[in-house]
Amino acid sequence: MKKRTLIRGFAAALALVGVPASADAHLINTTLGDFYGGVLHPLSGPEDIVPWFALAILASIQDPRNARWLLFAFPVALVGGALLSVVAPALSISPAWNLAVIVVTGLAVAAAAKLPFPIFLGLGTLIALLHGYQNGQAMTRDTDRLLFICGVGAIGYVFVTLITALAISFRQGGRDWRLIALRASGSWVAAVGVIMIGLQLRTSAAM
Amino acid sequence: MKIASLRTSLAWAAIFALMPLAPAFAHTGTGTSAGLLSGFMHPITGVDHLVAMVAVGLWGAQLGNPAIWILPIAFPLVMAIGGLFGVSGFDLPFTEIMIAISGIALGLAVAMNIRPPLWVAALLVSVFAVFHGYAHGRELPEAADPLAFGVGFVIATGLLHLCGILIGVLTRWPVGAQLVRASGAAIGAIGGYFLLSAMGLVA
Repeated sequence: MKKRTLIRGFAAALALVGVPASADAHLINTTLGDFYGGVLHPLSGPEDIVPWFALAILASIQDPRNARWLLFAFPVALVGGALLSVVAPALSISPAWNLAVIVVTGLAVAAAAKLPFPIFLGLGTLIALLHGYQNGQAMTRDTDRLLFICGVGAIGYVFVTLITALAISFRQGGRDWRLIALRASGSWVAAVGVIMIGLQLRTSAAM
Repeated sequence: MKIASLRTSLAWAAIFALMPLAPAFAHTGTGTSAGLLSGFMHPITGVDHLVAMVAVGLWGAQLGNPAIWILPIAFPLVMAIGGLFGVSGFDLPFTEIMIAISGIALGLAVAMNIRPPLWVAALLVSVFAVFHGYAHGRELPEAADPLAFGVGFVIATGLLHLCGILIGVLTRWPVGAQLVRASGAAIGAIGGYFLLSAMGLVA
């Protein structure tokens, strides 16, 4: 009897798993689609994730009192940058800025540098402003700007907070190699930034 | 008979209904994921790159602190300078030969347990890093997503160093140390094959 119940249960589970229904959450009905659009936009490519990752690792190396400010300033500056894209949509921001902050942040992590508070916070704010502006430029006429910008700010907060927390927890093991692993990740980020500067120079020269 | 046929039809209908309907992507070799994947696979599918990267980790583990962390941190940064040359279209001569020589030199360093001053080891690894970075950088402008390609090959390079370091942990035991040195010899031999290949002496 038990065996038959088990087989039936297994067959039912298999049928449920195999049912070819797409999981639509009715985003249009909830009117939250643009919020998720804002959440997913920075995650759709490495342009945002790579420097955010490096910044979060850098925060984990800083004095905790200083690092906590980033969790507040970063999403606020992201929202500020996105709002700026609404007010002044045609600002010409050189891609070199993005690449420069990637290299600087990566090198700071590779050197395990404890930056002075204004420089650390300024770097985080600059990254957030640049990325907020660029993500804001992805909005179209039909986009619900409020929801989209809230989505960008929310994912910025969640991403930086989670990675910083994970990095701090990773370091708390106390072994030296853990900091070395974090520093190596910084050198990877800086390397990517340096190579992309080369590509940018090549593209600029071709134009 | 009719009932049996109906049951068979229903069974087939149930089977077809359970088949997940996946969209057919016609252009899979584009976008961020393709760029990331091709960048990630570039150092792994190129055996000449692979063995040299693992050798860097092995040698770092043999040399111990601080080489074990200086070499893997410095390598990507110097490699990026080589990548700059490659991306910019600069013609760096003898790239394939130098990559092969890197396998030979690093393999021999591990096999013979050579312990030079740290600056000598760092300089040697840095020179080779430029050529490896150049080879990756040459591929980058044609990538589906150049940034993702760069992220992919840097991560793969770092993970190969990590593999070398983890294998190098065996040096704590006498038998393991012999095994690591044998691995170095094997890497040197593979480098030798690639050198002959780069010189056109073997197919």
